[in-house]
Amino acid sequence: MAVSETTGPASSDVVIKICGAAGDGSIAAGQILNLAAAGMGYHVMNFDSFPAEIRGFGKSVAHSRISVERVLTPGTMGDCLVALDDPHSITELASLRGNGIVIYDSRPADYHEEDQAVAGWLQPGMIGYGVPLRDLSAEATKGAKSRNIVALGVVSWLFGLDADGFRWAIGKRFGGKSETVRETNIAAFNLGWECAARELDKADPIDFGNVALARVENVSIVSGNEAAAQGCIDAGLRLYAGYPITPATKIMEVLGRKLPATGGVVVQTEDEISAIGHVVGGGFAGKRCATATSGPGLCLMVECINLGVMAEVPAVIIDCQRGGPSTGLPTKTEQSDLNIAIFGASGESPRPVLAPTNVEECYALVLKAFEVAEAFQTPVIVLFDFFLSSRMEDVVWSREAADRFGVYEDFLATPTPEPYARYAITETGVSPRAYPGMPELVHPITGLEHDEHGLPNYSGPVHTRMQRKRQRKLETLLARWPAPEVVGPEGDLEVGIVSWGSTVGAAKNAIKRLSESGMRAGGIFPRLMWPLAGDALREFSARCGMLLVAETNSSGQYAALVEQATHRDVLRVCEAAAMPLPTAAIEAAALKVHG
Amino acid sequence: MAQDPTTLGGTLNAEIVADISAVQQSGLLDYRSEELPTWCPGCGYYGITQALMQALADLHIENRNLAVVSGIGCAGRMPFFVNGYGFHAIHGRALPVAQGVKIAKPELTVLVVGGDGDGLGIGGGHLPHAVRRNVDLTYVLFDNGIYGLTKGQSSPTTPTGQVTGSHPYGNPDRPLDAVTLGLAYRASFMARGYAGKPHELYPIMKQALEHRGFSFVVAITPCVTFDKVNITYDRLRESWVPIPDDHDTSDLGAAMRLALSDKLYYGVFFREDRPTFNDNVEDTSGKARE
Repeated sequence: MAVSETTGPASSDVVIKICGAAGDGSIAAGQILNLAAAGMGYHVMNFDSFPAEIRGFGKSVAHSRISVERVLTPGTMGDCLVALDDPHSITELASLRGNGIVIYDSRPADYHEEDQAVAGWLQPGMIGYGVPLRDLSAEATKGAKSRNIVALGVVSWLFGLDADGFRWAIGKRFGGKSETVRETNIAAFNLGWECAARELDKADPIDFGNVALARVENVSIVSGNEAAAQGCIDAGLRLYAGYPITPATKIMEVLGRKLPATGGVVVQTEDEISAIGHVVGGGFAGKRCATATSGPGLCLMVECINLGVMAEVPAVIIDCQRGGPSTGLPTKTEQSDLNIAIFGASGESPRPVLAPTNVEECYALVLKAFEVAEAFQTPVIVLFDFFLSSRMEDVVWSREAADRFGVYEDFLATPTPEPYARYAITETGVSPRAYPGMPELVHPITGLEHDEHGLPNYSGPVHTRMQRKRQRKLETLLARWPAPEVVGPEGDLEVGIVSWGSTVGAAKNAIKRLSESGMRAGGIFPRLMWPLAGDALREFSARCGMLLVAETNSSGQYAALVEQATHRDVLRVCEAAAMPLPTAAIEAAALKVHG
Repeated sequence: MAQDPTTLGGTLNAEIVADISAVQQSGLLDYRSEELPTWCPGCGYYGITQALMQALADLHIENRNLAVVSGIGCAGRMPFFVNGYGFHAIHGRALPVAQGVKIAKPELTVLVVGGDGDGLGIGGGHLPHAVRRNVDLTYVLFDNGIYGLTKGQSSPTTPTGQVTGSHPYGNPDRPLDAVTLGLAYRASFMARGYAGKPHELYPIMKQALEHRGFSFVVAITPCVTFDKVNITYDRLRESWVPIPDDHDTSDLGAAMRLALSDKLYYGVFFREDRPTFNDNVEDTSGKARE
């Protein structure tokens, strides 16, 4: 088969998909691939898709992007498909580039009808490499289970990805297992590598040249959810209460393992209402508390979050968004909970909403959410989504790096001769806080409208004053929070892209491509979604010929807020298509309007 | 503290002055805030409050370490009348909030109060789970068989057939019995008392506060404004009997038979010592550190 010289992928960036039936080990192989590449000093991003059902007929695909530069998006089209199961892999060919590579089993166990063998479905331009994966696996481990590891040997040889790096990663992956397990898997890898070296004629141009950029032994490859759990721990979380829900559950599982050793507690509650009830109760008691959920759970939590706003109790709520409405698409990504996060409440219930844009920020912003919650005495919602929660990146994080989002301090009361006023009216809106156990500051708090002492009061002037006070806290936060990230050249822009959360990676990619094609393009990417950075948005908008808002939902929820702030129509680039909004969609929208 | 009662208008006879002085010296007022209760004159809640205050005073619970958590309803107003940290939360969620308070800060004495609508209606799903976690709380359910704050609709404990604001032709639903439920969930302390006899309710409250684990006290209490037929002082005076002295409080079956009998028993039905949630936290934390 011929290789297209002009459109072949660059050897500094490759997307590899490992496809099998659920249970074939494609996800495990992807994890080893990521770890190996990150250990060599490359950047990786991994975004798997697997069925909602645990095992069975479902297709399971590990999707990894390996690059010399920091990876912004997982890429929609694969450069290489490793087929561990032929029928499932046939359906995956559609997401392989026209000149893509397929590594398949040349001697599968069952005779495939011609139309069931993936090799028979390669399009002209694609390159197929047949390797007896099953036979080599049997040689190494007396079974078919290590076909995935054999395939990694082939990948290593084919793309010039350092074999020692893989052996190190395999050793780490099976670190908890017996010596035999580690050795037989390394043997499986070696057999794949040797067979490829012996049998294959390399016909594709992808070659990393066996260069390890830098040995990074302490690299961690973590998902957004794992990063969130670490952010909770480093913030000094004392109580996590949660109810299992995809895609947030992993946060509870990681905390269940790690939090008790730090003296913190994990409670699995009977439902999400109880979970947020525990969190608000623990916040009232003066401790750092959090919960994580997804859209359906957030719906149940709204009333208690509203209580936290009214009674001014700190709480951290991580919402790992998924496709909705209702039970929706539990294992698919979407950014459609922005409205409920900001506005979901009876009455007017101002609370901060944060949105990280990558895995490192999942750590940093969760850490900051605790500080903000305490300093401003309010629930804080952090918006993740399935894509951020479950994708993995190589990250290096630190508390100090998180401080780029500011440092926020608790404001505690001290006893005075005057009766303590829990809700004293102040310029910042923040009143000195006290909690049970503190002497001489005993007071009630309530979800009823109340006076400065926390006693129920329904008078017009008190309600007005208290509403303004709660609103003022957010204005104070906005003034202290760093200005949103702005990218692109200074001065006038032909195209300005506003984006948030997990879509920011694609937006940055699009800006890069548009700039390469000669357009003056830039972007603004707030992490503080609410209160709205109105001044910064207006200032940016004033520089833009065209203003485009990119997000992964179908109505353009953030776009509506940007329109409100900037008093201009924006171009909504939004789509809820059960996958992250692709770079190409943003790029195409900009090009289409701009001509 | 409240205004000096001896200076209240007019002359007070010596007997009343003596009574007031006795109350002032009893320590009961240490647990009262300056807020006057919003409850109707004659409401059973005054009796329950008196029993609670007496128990708190006996146990010398420090005000700063007392947290009273409630939901919504007439009983939900209690935190405003107590000299302690109070959280008047939202309808039905007193137990989740209170568990969070106690788990986060185990050194606090956490008292949860609420009505039958709050605890068995909207919040009914939380009770079994608070019970099975055995979080060290004292939960006093003010059972008056009616929704009082919303002015007289049927509650989960309103008897079948009773005419109420929401059921003008009679309540069609069967009532729940809080004691039977508590025993079925196996609350580690299960008792019932009567607001009309605070002196008998007080020792029950004291035992409940002393018990390590989830203490569930059902306080039967008349709503003098919206229930003239079911839970009334007149009717309860007749039907109210103490649990027999020979009842074995470690016998769950015997406790259940008492609860299911036609008689309205008061006293401690069941109690057992088992690890509390916070005990289990210690255990988990030890395992994690190994």
